[in-house]
Amino acid sequence: MAESAAPPQRPARPYPRPCPVCSKPVAPDQRFRPFCSARCRQIDLGRWLAGDYAIPGEPPESGPDEGE
Amino acid sequence: MSDAAARAEPSPPDRNGDDYNSASITVLRGLEAVRKRPGMYIGDTDDGSGLHHMAFEIIDNAVDEAQAGFATRVEVTLNGDGSVTVRDDGRGIPVDIHEEEGISAAEVVLTRLHAGGKFNQNSYKVSGGLHGVGAAVVNALSEWMHVRIWRNGVEHLVRFEHGETVQPLTILGPSEERSGTEVTFKPSSGTFTKVEYDFAVLERRLRELAFLNSGLAIALKDDRHVPAQEVLFDFKGGLVAFVEWLDQGKEPLFRPPINVTSKDQEGIRVELAMWWNNTPREVTLCFTNNIPQRDGGTHQAGFRQALTRVVAKYADDLAKKEKVELAGEDMREGLTCVLSVKVPDPKFSSQTKDKLVSSEVQPVVQAAVADALSHWFETHPKEARTVLEQVVLAAAARKAAQLAREKVGRKNALDISTLPGKLADCQEKDPSKCELFLVEGDSAGGSAKQGRNRAFQAILPLKGKILNVERARIDKMLSSAEIGTLITALGTGIGPGEPAKGGFDANKLRYHRIVIMTDADVDGSHIRTLLLTFFFRQMPELIERGHLYIAQPPLYRAKRGNDERYLKDDRALEDYLLEKALSGATLSLGDGRALSGEALRAEAEALRQVAARIRRLAAHVPAEIVEQAAVTGALTLDPERATAAAAALVARLNALALPAERHWNATHGEAGLQLWRTVRGVTERHALTPTALRSAEARWLDERREALERQFDEGAVLALDGAETPVQGPAMALERLLAQGRKGLTIQRFKGLGEMNPEQLWKTTLDPAVRTQLKVKVEDVEAAENVFSTLMGDVVEPRREFIVDNALKVANLDV
Repeated sequence: MAESAAPPQRPARPYPRPCPVCSKPVAPDQRFRPFCSARCRQIDLGRWLAGDYAIPGEPPESGPDEGE
Repeated sequence: MSDAAARAEPSPPDRNGDDYNSASITVLRGLEAVRKRPGMYIGDTDDGSGLHHMAFEIIDNAVDEAQAGFATRVEVTLNGDGSVTVRDDGRGIPVDIHEEEGISAAEVVLTRLHAGGKFNQNSYKVSGGLHGVGAAVVNALSEWMHVRIWRNGVEHLVRFEHGETVQPLTILGPSEERSGTEVTFKPSSGTFTKVEYDFAVLERRLRELAFLNSGLAIALKDDRHVPAQEVLFDFKGGLVAFVEWLDQGKEPLFRPPINVTSKDQEGIRVELAMWWNNTPREVTLCFTNNIPQRDGGTHQAGFRQALTRVVAKYADDLAKKEKVELAGEDMREGLTCVLSVKVPDPKFSSQTKDKLVSSEVQPVVQAAVADALSHWFETHPKEARTVLEQVVLAAAARKAAQLAREKVGRKNALDISTLPGKLADCQEKDPSKCELFLVEGDSAGGSAKQGRNRAFQAILPLKGKILNVERARIDKMLSSAEIGTLITALGTGIGPGEPAKGGFDANKLRYHRIVIMTDADVDGSHIRTLLLTFFFRQMPELIERGHLYIAQPPLYRAKRGNDERYLKDDRALEDYLLEKALSGATLSLGDGRALSGEALRAEAEALRQVAARIRRLAAHVPAEIVEQAAVTGALTLDPERATAAAAALVARLNALALPAERHWNATHGEAGLQLWRTVRGVTERHALTPTALRSAEARWLDERREALERQFDEGAVLALDGAETPVQGPAMALERLLAQGRKGLTIQRFKGLGEMNPEQLWKTTLDPAVRTQLKVKVEDVEAAENVFSTLMGDVVEPRREFIVDNALKVANLDV
């Protein structure tokens, strides 16, 4: 594709931005960035380890593709 | 304790006195026992706790007067000679002669064990002292004790040494003081190893007592040193003020604290104040009749039962949503609570009263707290919500810690035997020389394992698990097993704990170059977004230290004969095609220029810029029409030029059409540029709306209309290998050049890494000599995390829209 045809990338949300877990505002110099606290980071880890994070996909085109 | 008892050398009582009679013998035996085994009565005589208990006993008696409603003020003074004075404005100890003992009631209380008003609930309904042994025990373990008593405006004095009366109760005379008691005693250095009082210990206990007895003023004065130190505790707020004081500097989830004051039930009264702050720590203080229970007991158990029952009821929905099971400890995270019960004749597990065992207290506390808490949750929905959210997050944090223990090998992270089976490790052991490729999918993983240099390159295949959510759509995720495997392979451990116990330590990283290698499709970008987000959130140091990279596998292979080229993306492919086409090409433009070689290469770049914008405008209108509109200056909103430009466009479109199809018409006005023609009864219509004409692309092209017109209005010719073809526009010229470049080439598009064989993977993506890799920077990942957060958002509808709108953006997430 010629030139930089890709749309401009979404800029990172400006700080303070909400903690991904509890939504409290997080300053850019926060030690646990992007979280507000060690605990929220820990909760996030739990969600990864529990398999709670999934990127929503497109509707299946023809019948359910059972993965794995 | 036997040591302490041995060291204690009680002074022998005066056995020669005339008043030495049979009645006193029991008494002396009792006090003898106290002096022989002081630890049994007053606590440890070596570590200071017994010493402070001496003062607390006397203070408690004064506070009992206040609880009974007779005293409003207690003053405690640490004197320079090592003695302690406790004064209250209560009724004064009775001074009349005790019928059985034949001495003043005050002397009975201060010399007889188990004497005093507290076994008779009529004098003191509830009390905190040591069941009446208190004052006499303190007296027995004091070098001397002076007690002044004011009753009915008369001042009395009685003096003791080592618990024995040396001056019976004497009337000193009238006094302005109406009533009260003042006890001064000097702890015996024969009993206590250490006789120095700690101001801070007394201060803490007196503050506590002042909070527990709202309205009672307690002063503490230290006259031992200059300048004298004095504090006054006078709290009107009771337990609520206590809770607020305990949480100074912390942020409560709501104000004011929940406050419970029950009516007497079976003689038991329950008072409680509580709230939650935003720290993970629980502070619950339990008191029975003003005495603290370090180890809780039945009152605490009743409180916990009530709290668990009520919170579980209200938090049920939230907990299900977060997929956690609530435990009592989750509900007590950040809880600050003071629970105070008043119980007649309480029973404790030990003399130190560290635990309440009176079983009748538990149901009373439970009922009172459950009622009050339920009412609070019903009437404070907003505050309740923040509490419940915190409780559920606490449960989530606990679950996370448990999962971390289960899923990630919590043994020595460097122990090779714990490395995951899927990992194809490298031979090199020096992390600074090692690379780890995180490869999406098993087939690509297989190619990578064969194609790598096993000396220093390790491969970990990761499978993006597909999740079919209610058969409505297919979600992509990294399973918990994949995440666990990844953490174990990296060797860093995870989470906040000590590195020795499996907590994260960037210094333990086993590979200093971690390369994310995913397909260039939407699925690949999803896996990459997941991985980047995981690293950013859980291992940001690895990004800050520059350990994380993204592989750049080729999207195309172009082959002619034995010559093959791998090309990273569409842009690289176009570059390559143009490079091939330009060698034998000459472009003669309407402005008289004939371009070849370097000049043509530069012009081709300009053509690409123009063609890219034409393509973007051509979403709803054929590209040929947009191209001709650009060349004729019809991409305008200027009414003065519009009509003439529309006519020029019609003329040009007709010229380009087949003779039988030259029926184009156009209007250019407020509705934008309208075009139509009817060929063999079929009408074709196109429109460039005012919005399209106002776009950045249209304006960019319009600004260059004069140059474009000159170049392509007439006579532009492209000569390729001697054959000449007219070209009517920039996009057409570019397309011809690209088509020329494609001649004789076989172009293969890799739909995934799995389509490359091991050798191809090595020479394009793995070989350090030729590959390109992007180093991931924090700013890049913050943007990726943004996308991820939005994708993970709770609100379903906006999220669906976002996905539709941003499918391309996510796919092209450039880092």
